[in-house]
Amino acid sequence: MIERKEHYDEDSGLSPKFSEDLNTLFKPHLSVPPEVDRAVLDQAHRHLTRSCKPRRPFRWAASIAAAAAVIIFAFLFNIAREPTAETARETAQDTARKHTFRTARKPAPALVSSVIAEAQVDIDLNGRVDILDAFKLARHVESTSTDRTKTNLSLQKQGWDINGDGLVNRNDVDLVASAAVRLDKGVL
Amino acid sequence: MESDEELIESANKGDAEAFETLYYRYRDWVFRLTWRFTGNREDALDVLQETFAYLLKKLPGFQLTASMTTFLYPVVKHISLTVRRRSRPHVSAEEALSEIAASASEDTPDVRAELAAVLRGLPEEQREILLMRFVDDMSMEEISSALNIPLGTVKSRLHNALHRLRQNHRARDYFLE
Repeated sequence: MIERKEHYDEDSGLSPKFSEDLNTLFKPHLSVPPEVDRAVLDQAHRHLTRSCKPRRPFRWAASIAAAAAVIIFAFLFNIAREPTAETARETAQDTARKHTFRTARKPAPALVSSVIAEAQVDIDLNGRVDILDAFKLARHVESTSTDRTKTNLSLQKQGWDINGDGLVNRNDVDLVASAAVRLDKGVL
Repeated sequence: MESDEELIESANKGDAEAFETLYYRYRDWVFRLTWRFTGNREDALDVLQETFAYLLKKLPGFQLTASMTTFLYPVVKHISLTVRRRSRPHVSAEEALSEIAASASEDTPDVRAELAAVLRGLPEEQREILLMRFVDDMSMEEISSALNIPLGTVKSRLHNALHRLRQNHRARDYFLE
């Protein structure tokens, strides 16, 4: 059927009985049972309680804040343990004191050589401290040990007891050799 | 009395009582519609529940942009036809209407049975608009929105439906002229 484009007029001459009879015709004979009402409303209550309960917008924020707090705490703890300039200086001084104490009990050749006088290790008296001084001292120590006519005391009198232990031996040679090869021997 | 918009707003916030008010306000309207579409009381009750379950799923966050009937009508229609196809796949809209008319004629005067017969003679799209206008009490604009068709189409279909009724001698008594 082709629909005509005529607009519906509310005053179309219809009797109110038309609407009444239609409503009677399509009115369900039975009402909605209370069980259906209860089922719908229970479902609504469950749904609205579950989906509309107060959300916790700061749930993630709280986790992040907790993690940040741990990181900040750890950072501050490390800062507190890090030495300040003053404490670093004190620590260095303590370390130096301990080191000095250790070396005093058992001096290392290199450390001793740094405090001995350049003239003391200039065995050949040529004005320089080099490996030849160590070589010369080594020859003298060697000859003393093989030639009984040369006593160790004579070597001591020459001032070759470098480490001052009362003996002129390989230890003194080592000290001279160490002084000869030191990089900063200019300050000796 | 709170408006539908106010009730929806409250229900969006989790107010179950607002939803309950809304339910009782539209329960009979929806049930009458489901009864008309399905022609079967059990199916009608199923559709009633599914319709309000659909509305519930929209909450929270539901925005009522038109009237409540405009929102509910296509929902009821879609669910009703789905349920009817599932439970009674061979029953057409006309047969469902016949069942309604048959059950109505048991306790209604013959003239209403005559009216049911006249309605069965109308094309489905005209009958639908006629019933939406005079049974569901929807305005032309609401019908247009609910069916998603132009307002002019609604008016022309209604005009043609009334014209057919006027031509039918069994419905002639409903016209004053």
